[in-house]
Amino acid sequence: MELEDVPGQLLKALEPISRFGGNIQSIMHQRERKTPLGRIPVMLIFEVGDRARLNRILAALRARGVRVTQLGEREGAVRTTALLIGPHTDIRDTIDRLGALRGVGVSDLSLAMGGLGQESAARMTITTDNEKRASLAISNLQRIADRKKLLLIASLEAG
Amino acid sequence: MRLVLVGFGNLGRGLSRALIQKASFLRRSHGLIPRVVAAVDEFGAAVDEKGLNLTRLLKVAGKAGTVAAYKGGKRGKLALRVIEGVEADVVYELTPTNIKTGEPGLTHIKRAMWARKHVITSNKGPLVVAFGELDSLARRCGVEFRYSASVGGAVPVVGLAKELLAGNEIREIRGVLNGTTNYILTRMSREDAPFEVVLREAQELGVAEKDPTLDIEGIDTACKITILANSLLGMNARLKDVKVAGIKRVRPEAIRLAREAGQTIKLIGIAKRGSLEVGPKLVPLGHPLAVGGTLNAVTFELDLAREISITGFGAGPKETSSSLLGDLIDIHRTLGG
Repeated sequence: MELEDVPGQLLKALEPISRFGGNIQSIMHQRERKTPLGRIPVMLIFEVGDRARLNRILAALRARGVRVTQLGEREGAVRTTALLIGPHTDIRDTIDRLGALRGVGVSDLSLAMGGLGQESAARMTITTDNEKRASLAISNLQRIADRKKLLLIASLEAG
Repeated sequence: MRLVLVGFGNLGRGLSRALIQKASFLRRSHGLIPRVVAAVDEFGAAVDEKGLNLTRLLKVAGKAGTVAAYKGGKRGKLALRVIEGVEADVVYELTPTNIKTGEPGLTHIKRAMWARKHVITSNKGPLVVAFGELDSLARRCGVEFRYSASVGGAVPVVGLAKELLAGNEIREIRGVLNGTTNYILTRMSREDAPFEVVLREAQELGVAEKDPTLDIEGIDTACKITILANSLLGMNARLKDVKVAGIKRVRPEAIRLAREAGQTIKLIGIAKRGSLEVGPKLVPLGHPLAVGGTLNAVTFELDLAREISITGFGAGPKETSSSLLGDLIDIHRTLGG
């Protein structure tokens, strides 16, 4: 969306989202990328239960004069957490392999280094379109882990 | 009912104490008068057809290290002779588990069945090695066979599924089935202490054995998953069919990362048709399986009831005697008592 560069605009845009039960996941306020008309592009990611709510949010935004320039939807995003324990010398490669799968993304990587000569732990959040993809992603990750001699600790609920 | 106790270690003694303590309760509430007519251990046997005095048996066996020290007791390897020769209704097989051969428990159970005696056991060995064989042998011999104490200690995992949930199809069984590893993971989580330190503490407390390999490598849990798969899912599984990972590589940092995401790490056994698995898993904090200390917990996924979870003490002689005694009462009822 594009917002006027005057105080209170962001709040005006966020209010309808929470009022109709949307759960905001991230806000990117790109002040340095002002449009020729002096507006500020803002990227919002939020989760909402059903289409009726989404329509209500969009209508409310329009009524308030907020300009929605682009709308992208991902249905039923499934997130699952996984831990990997071992030498994480090529964690980038693990993430790239996982991300190469269709409809699978990796976000939120955290690393906790062990002491000298000890294994470290990595936590990642895997986002997929649906449950089936999620369990496919986990079984792929298991194969990668087996090959790299890592211990995968997947979520109990994941496939 | 005349009972033979084969094995007089922690469980045999725990059961004996429960029989003493609950004698009048069993008579009053269940019309059951249990009489231990023989007790055998690896060094000898004590036999009395009129019934052994359990208080005295506990005392002399505690002092001498064998039931053979009981008045009139005999020394030697006498288990098979007692199982076959002494007139009795039920044989309790309570010897230590051997997961490779199932012995000596396996032979004890078979001979007891052949001698037309009902069998109650806590021994995982015979169940892991020869579940199908023992199950059909019991039917062929027309005897009852119970093994509630082999999985979950005091937690009535088998009984709940077989009796009270009998109208359901069980889709999946998931559980924390090993108190030792659960204690270690819980302590690591609360104290941020390394695995080796917590293991040593557990050994000093008697929560972990001197050789904790079977527990920490997940093999004990795998045995229980095999038993549940065979007895509740109608599978014909062996221990080697279970994909196993232990908890040795789980570090406190990993548990901390899990906690930051609202989860904890538990050693979970999972049984569903076509896939048997044991390994550390992320469990949401507050989930029925996120139990602390030495507790065990099991969740059944069912077609009608959807999800049922139970939790309780998975080990200890007193706690386990709950299951051993429950099996006896169940047989007593089955036989119309």
